[in-house]
Amino acid sequence: MTALATRRAEARALFEGHGLPTRRVEEWKYSDLKAALGAPEKIGEESAGWTLGALPPGVESFDLAGADVPDWALPHMASNAMGAASLAFARAGVALRVSGAVTEPLRLDLSRTGHLRVVLVLEPGASATLVEQAAAAAWRNVGVDIVLGEGARLDHIRLSPAAPQAVLVAEYFILVAAKARYHGHFADFGARLSRAELQVALAGEGAAAHLSGVAVLDAKRHADVTTHIIHRQGGTRSTQLFKNVAGGGARAVYQGKVTVAKGADGSDSLQTAKALLLNETAEADLKPELEIFADDVKCAHGAAVGDLDADSLFYLRTRGIPEAEARALLIHAFLEDALAEIAAEDMRGGVREAVGAALAGLA
Amino acid sequence: MLEIKNLHVSVGDKPILKGLNLRLLAGQVHAIMGPNGSGKSTLSYVLAGRAGYDITEGSILYNGEDLAAMPPEERAAKGVFLAMQYPVEIPGVTTMTFLKTALNAQRRQRGESDLDAIGVLKLVRAKAKTLNVSEEMLRRALNVGFSGGEKKRLEILQMAVFEPRLAILDETDSGLDIDALRLVAEGVNALRSPERAMLVITHYQRLLDYIVPDRIHVLAQGRIVAEGGKELALELEAKGYEHIVGQAA
Repeated sequence: MTALATRRAEARALFEGHGLPTRRVEEWKYSDLKAALGAPEKIGEESAGWTLGALPPGVESFDLAGADVPDWALPHMASNAMGAASLAFARAGVALRVSGAVTEPLRLDLSRTGHLRVVLVLEPGASATLVEQAAAAAWRNVGVDIVLGEGARLDHIRLSPAAPQAVLVAEYFILVAAKARYHGHFADFGARLSRAELQVALAGEGAAAHLSGVAVLDAKRHADVTTHIIHRQGGTRSTQLFKNVAGGGARAVYQGKVTVAKGADGSDSLQTAKALLLNETAEADLKPELEIFADDVKCAHGAAVGDLDADSLFYLRTRGIPEAEARALLIHAFLEDALAEIAAEDMRGGVREAVGAALAGLA
Repeated sequence: MLEIKNLHVSVGDKPILKGLNLRLLAGQVHAIMGPNGSGKSTLSYVLAGRAGYDITEGSILYNGEDLAAMPPEERAAKGVFLAMQYPVEIPGVTTMTFLKTALNAQRRQRGESDLDAIGVLKLVRAKAKTLNVSEEMLRRALNVGFSGGEKKRLEILQMAVFEPRLAILDETDSGLDIDALRLVAEGVNALRSPERAMLVITHYQRLLDYIVPDRIHVLAQGRIVAEGGKELALELEAKGYEHIVGQAA
């Protein structure tokens, strides 16, 4: 049995032990996966697809379709409720290793129904940009391990276009070493159920994670971002800024937990989640949470759900801007600070366009 | 230009304006003065079309048209401008983007073509200079972090850019120091023209030293209780509202 086969067997036992997560599991409180999937008896049988754009110099890739996995990837393949399923059942995926400064973005497209695993390892001092785009499928469960070596920097953008019939879940396991910085932006336009769970460990002094995201949801779409950032060492920083706009009968979820471990003194964390509801039938659940076991930490969190500001709308209309246009302008304005978190200008432009298109169709 | 007849306005169930009459001709500047709670802001909001201000009786004619029947954006496109007492802050929209969006929205409603970004920039820059509105202000989010004086200057800049036919200035002097007041007043005076009418709403006489009105109306308890020339402002300043309002009652 290869080392990978052993890990798969362990993960399978784990998954079969607890089964699909129910809403009684805290992290899944607002996303009913069982109801969305129906009763998928063949959940273990399919693997999803992936394609990768041209690999720039400094990036090594390894196809995870076989029975082997490179030594630099295997130890990082983590599992949780659904992560165990992808680890156990995926017979497709890719492992990527980056050394040095890579400026050309890595483009990863996910497709088809089934499980998938992705591993991205940045060597110490390396830097890269990962642009991930998820196509619609009946269902997909993706486990992604991201490892940043000391001083490494990753800009990660994930785009989930609207997929009204799809059930798309992803679990990210992100390990950030000393002085490394992870920057992730999650733009979600909703699916029958779309969910990204991020477990981020700030594992060394000076490690930083900046998470941001926007969700623009219409009809019966559902998007859930659940994060858990653990400040394991002192002098670590995390920021989170998530903005959701929900119309129709859509539901936007943000659950974020920040844990500052014992001894992680002098850590900073800022957590902001806001939702704009465009009508009475849209819903937002925002739940920021803090768990502090260290001293001398600066942690702040805030959450707010509201509708468009009547004073602002009136002001714009008195300046000649018709109501529909004024509403659109204010919704764009609401999302703007989260979009501004995307560091690369061309990427920001791309996400902004997608947001514009989604807003144009919003009721 | 503007003819208000027997105007009654309620907010919720509370009557605020109770039979207001006012006639304003092109080329004129009129001032409305009145104590707090007299209905000054209600009048400005009703003219601009704010929701929740219900006209229960009377009429407002603007160039012969029923102003009350128009949504706020149509009023703006037809040349009505309200410089607000408390301009709103809108994070996420730069001042320049706002000006361009508003100007072109008005032009479109009038059947005119859009001005391109460079055209708008040129126009705004030329007007901004005289009002001491910096390039940096134009790049910032609309009114966010602006001082009271900066907000008021930006209102007047909008007036200069949109070139309305009827401008209503609601407490444009509030929160301004004397230098800012002078600057704002100069901006307003520069826009006085035979085709344009202005309604200056203020609590204090001070602003009227700089923007000298053709006529002053005193508003109290929802009605015009006194009218006169510019000397009425001085009388109000000297004797207080109680005196004039008391005489009228």
